[in-house]
Amino acid sequence: MVVEALSVLRNLPARKKEEQAEPSMLLGGSRDLGLDTLKLAQDIYDQFTADPRYKEYVLGCLNCGECTTGCPAARFYDFSPREMLQVAMSNDPLVLLNAMHEKIWACCQCYTCNMRCRFGNDIAGIISVMRELAVKNGLDSAKEVLRPYTRILLKVMTGGTQVSPDMIQPDFFVDWGPDAVSKASDLKTLRKAIPIDVLQVTDSAWEVSMQTSLELFQIYQESGVIDMVRAVDPDLVEMITDIVDEWREEFEEMKEKYGVR
Amino acid sequence: MGILSADQIREVVKARAENRSVSDKKVSDVREEMWTLHDRGELIVIPITPENKPVEVETLFGWKKRVPTDKLWHHKSCGQCGNIPGYPASLLWFMNQFKTTYLNEPHQTSCTAWNYHGSGTSNPVALAAVAVRNWYRAYETGTYPLIHCGTSYGDYKEMRKVLVENKEVRDKVREIMHHMGKELVIPEEIVHYSEWVHVKRDEIASMVKYELKDVVATVHEPCHYYKMVPEDAIYDSSVLGGQRPAPPTALLQKMGVNVADYSTWYDCCGFGFRHILTEREFTRSFATLRKIKPMVEEAHADVAITTDTGCVTTLDKSQWVGKVHGMDFLVPVLAEVQLAALAAGAHPYKIVQVHWHTSPVEKLMEKMGIDYQSYRKDFTEYLNQIKSGGKIEYLYDPHSEIEKYFAVNKGQVIVEEQALKRGE
Repeated sequence: MVVEALSVLRNLPARKKEEQAEPSMLLGGSRDLGLDTLKLAQDIYDQFTADPRYKEYVLGCLNCGECTTGCPAARFYDFSPREMLQVAMSNDPLVLLNAMHEKIWACCQCYTCNMRCRFGNDIAGIISVMRELAVKNGLDSAKEVLRPYTRILLKVMTGGTQVSPDMIQPDFFVDWGPDAVSKASDLKTLRKAIPIDVLQVTDSAWEVSMQTSLELFQIYQESGVIDMVRAVDPDLVEMITDIVDEWREEFEEMKEKYGVR
Repeated sequence: MGILSADQIREVVKARAENRSVSDKKVSDVREEMWTLHDRGELIVIPITPENKPVEVETLFGWKKRVPTDKLWHHKSCGQCGNIPGYPASLLWFMNQFKTTYLNEPHQTSCTAWNYHGSGTSNPVALAAVAVRNWYRAYETGTYPLIHCGTSYGDYKEMRKVLVENKEVRDKVREIMHHMGKELVIPEEIVHYSEWVHVKRDEIASMVKYELKDVVATVHEPCHYYKMVPEDAIYDSSVLGGQRPAPPTALLQKMGVNVADYSTWYDCCGFGFRHILTEREFTRSFATLRKIKPMVEEAHADVAITTDTGCVTTLDKSQWVGKVHGMDFLVPVLAEVQLAALAAGAHPYKIVQVHWHTSPVEKLMEKMGIDYQSYRKDFTEYLNQIKSGGKIEYLYDPHSEIEKYFAVNKGQVIVEEQALKRGE
């Protein structure tokens, strides 16, 4: 019955009864064919194929595998850019959704696959589109993957830089060795010893002016990124909004202080 | 399943590769359409002017590209500024030597593409608007953006293409810019700092003070420099037969460094964007096994040279943990501009800031003939001086307090007298 529901949604021929229990064509594992899943899969599939980048990035495939032979992620993960392209071309919402649960997050975004592809596919690009949709649709897998990444999102969405010197703490970067970590012990002095004024900070890669930070937030708001992030981490968005609200108040005070219009 | 007939197989293949007819699409030069849109008033191209003293180079398909060398706006890199501060410091040091005018401001965000490629938490409108906001700051100050990071460079070329080819994104970004009192601008060329270093290689090589022929260097070419938008990377038939990008090899050869090859030169470094931060078991395994190990065992490298933020970080920081598997390599990893600055006599600690690198640089400096111990003593004294509130040395005069908040100083670059002073 659920397969019939999918057929109505997508106008596709129903699979034969004996095929319904078979694993996915491209990806191992059984399918959760609940109606909610089917609806979600169809919604995401529609968003995916309606994105203007879909037609531009996915051009066809010879299955030559050149992309995968050069892929760094393929050496260490159950991942293949050839498979991702086949997923993109599969016309199957469930295959797409299945890949978006885990596999898309293995990609290193190095673009080696693109450079090697005879068809000129933008495989790294189409994986990015899938990631955007995983975030936008609040998939649990996206929440899981991005959980340890929250403090970085906070950093980039407020200050506009990705990393800061004070992030190199023993708890998080123990594998970088004692020399990397020990820098934290005398960080302020070492940062002051950099002969570039805007780099003499510890909580940001460089000092970003308040006007610039507020303009970045405005971009994130008007482009819909804040709403995207809210779908995976509403608490983070609340935190960011609180910080920005405080900055706005301070910014107005500074305008008065410096006589800036 | 029975055996399929030829017609059935043909149908299967046709169904699986139904879009094959578009595979002959040509790579177009987006710059031509960009100027057309400029003429139509859809956007403003930031031109390279004679004041920028451009130098012409060739890219992958033999297309011409002009690299501005003066009156520049430094588009900094988060990873460089956060973890490898000697990277931008070395570049600015060279610019001071050449009396180059520039602005290095707090009114810049990162491109945010490190985040995007790691997490997917952005979209083309946001990425393009971030790019335009930064470009606009260069435009309103009369300077030309010079992009320090390989990913920013790749991302900005992608955003240039999106803005030129996608009217919907272009209109939305223009609207956002207007809300901020800015215009939709795109630089005539997207220029990476390594391209500035490349066209300055003769002048840089003439400053080398140490014998470098015994220094073996392996080059790691950053993926986002030449794989992301391949047609815009610099190639030169006289450098590695034109089969690999010319920067930074051309500079190294010009300085007399022994550039050695290794089998995995084409591999990425293992950075992976999110991986370097939250999935480092992958990053460190790939960096050590696929990059550092071949560099050491095949090429006997004294130093690994690259031209991007993430690559220096990954290759440098990932080595220490290899000790647990008996891979005690600790090959120093530097940006080409850092090695050049060392060779040209810049202070290894005050300018090149080698103490931020996890894989020690001292052995390399010893081989180059640099008396690093006296420099280190000098730096230790300098740190004590800073701690006791003493004078701090700068490459340019620090910004005023008001610039912590506001992007003032429109239409000005650092005046010539100050540039001359910096060159002393």
